[in-house]
Amino acid sequence: MTKRSLSILIIILCFGFLMIGCPKKTVMKEEPSVSLKEKEAARIEEERALKEKEAKEREAKEAKEREAKLREEAARKEFEKTLVAKKEPGIEGVVFDSSLLKDIHFDFDKYDIRPGDASILTENAAVLKKYPVVKIQIEGHCDERGTNEYNLALGERRANSTKNYLISLGISGDRISTISFGEERPLDPSHNEEAWAKNRRAHMLVISK
Amino acid sequence: MLKQILLHTIFLFLILIPCGEARVYLDINAPAFVPIPIVLPKWKAANRTPPALSIKAYEILANDLTLSGFFKVIDYQQLPLSLQKKEGIPNTFLVQEWLPAGGEILLTGEIFLESDGLNLRLKFHLFDLVEQKHLVGKQYEGPFKNLRDIVHRIADEVVLQATGEKGVHNTKMAYVVLYEGSKEIFITDFDGANVKQVTRNRSLNLTPAWSLDNKKIAFTSYIKRNPDLYLIDVDGKNLQRFSSHPGLNASPSWSPDGKQIALMMGVEGKSEIFLTDTDGGNLKKLTKGHGNEASPTWSPDGQWIAFVSDRSGTPQIYIMARDGSNVRRLTFEGNYNTNPSWSPKADRIAYCGRVEGRFNIFTIGIDGSGLRMLTSNSGNNENPCWSPDGRYIAFSSNRTGASKIYIMNANGLNVRPLTTSKGGESSPAWSRRWE
Repeated sequence: MTKRSLSILIIILCFGFLMIGCPKKTVMKEEPSVSLKEKEAARIEEERALKEKEAKEREAKEAKEREAKLREEAARKEFEKTLVAKKEPGIEGVVFDSSLLKDIHFDFDKYDIRPGDASILTENAAVLKKYPVVKIQIEGHCDERGTNEYNLALGERRANSTKNYLISLGISGDRISTISFGEERPLDPSHNEEAWAKNRRAHMLVISK
Repeated sequence: MLKQILLHTIFLFLILIPCGEARVYLDINAPAFVPIPIVLPKWKAANRTPPALSIKAYEILANDLTLSGFFKVIDYQQLPLSLQKKEGIPNTFLVQEWLPAGGEILLTGEIFLESDGLNLRLKFHLFDLVEQKHLVGKQYEGPFKNLRDIVHRIADEVVLQATGEKGVHNTKMAYVVLYEGSKEIFITDFDGANVKQVTRNRSLNLTPAWSLDNKKIAFTSYIKRNPDLYLIDVDGKNLQRFSSHPGLNASPSWSPDGKQIALMMGVEGKSEIFLTDTDGGNLKKLTKGHGNEASPTWSPDGQWIAFVSDRSGTPQIYIMARDGSNVRRLTFEGNYNTNPSWSPKADRIAYCGRVEGRFNIFTIGIDGSGLRMLTSNSGNNENPCWSPDGRYIAFSSNRTGASKIYIMNANGLNVRPLTTSKGGESSPAWSRRWE
């Protein structure tokens, strides 16, 4: 290249840099000259866009809630299909037996949860988690042997150790109440080992669906 | 020497005189006890009193005397013919006429229904046939509807004369009846008459206890889907709930001063013994620890409470002071001892113990000595409850198949059913005497 060509190139490059630099300078120079009216308009536009966005989010949220409610309704209906109303003369309150909540049983004179029954309680807990609105009452029962008053105490323990086990599986204690019936409400009134084993039980029933 | 003989003679004379006149007071629970033969001639229906009334009074009285276990009643039909027709009250001088009857005591009486037909007068006289002398004579007046009560008072008097202590014929029993799937509270007289239903709520009503004035019964009921404690008047009115903590509220027992009630209460999943005022206030926890506590019963002086605890592993009878201190274990025989009931004579506690799978009634001294088994080979026997004079024990038994309430002497003899019902009875609670 010749000396002259190089100088021209340098001059062109310099112009180029100037051009690149200028627009910034131009913008900075031009800002102070935008009117207040236009500024206000821009702000209003921003707000409107924001409101639209919020409205859309609310709608989406409500839609989700409606969906959830519909799912809950469907679940409740599904659960209700498993319920049978229980009529007990002389005892206040409407209660239901559910085919999904199974009884557990106890050894004679004992109130600890045996391994087989622990699995049943795990299944019951899963049911309770699936239908979170459901509240239950746990009845503690004894067989007819032994004296009525001591059996009231034993039934109380059976109901409560069952409750404590369900709590340890993650069910909220607010959802569970207990009641002891001692030996007063046998499932099987016969006087043999088979009947007695059936009667030593904790029965979970639904008091609020 | 002569002086000595004289002194000895005077001494013997002084001893023998009282012996000749002393009445020996009978202990029905003494091993050598033999019932006293008592002669009961027909009662006289004075003036225009209907004969049916005097027959009725006579039957109630003869039954009471037999039930007491103290007497062998020789009724007028068992008398020699010459004596059968005699009725009413003889002159003391003619008492010897009755010697051929074979009795030691003669009880005669007369009943008079006033002209208004509403009021009665009953008169009785008691004679000692051995000593041939008059013992006592009394007259009672009252409305016609109180006939049974008046006759029971007479029976109590006769028992007093023979034993030194009034009978319990004027007492009632509260108990639980299984009735169409529910359990209701009933009451009946000592002789099984006047069976009356007290609760009518078709629920589970359990563990009745009398107030000290016999006017109310405390009991547990599941009316509100929780075993709560209620009070009710004996006529079934004025139902009041006085203890309703979520969980057990059961087995009430009135303190002897009438100011507090001991009970079982469910707290944090297990049963403890609590004290409460009679309106349910001023709650005090007496027991502590990891056991199940049940069935409180007061000592007659109100200083101690016996109860059931399985803190040692199996249910046993314990005693504690009324503030919960000084706990000691009473029973060490057998591995299932429950239902304590403290005798009004203070010295013994009755309870239900399991022996080889069967439940039987036991009594034991307060110091743990003198253990006695009162029932055996007769099904399951539970819930012992002393009479107010400490001479009898009521309990429930399924010896004939169905559960019924029985009464026996405190030594286990003379067992008889309380009522003529077919069964379904349990949890007897004995009232105090109706004064």
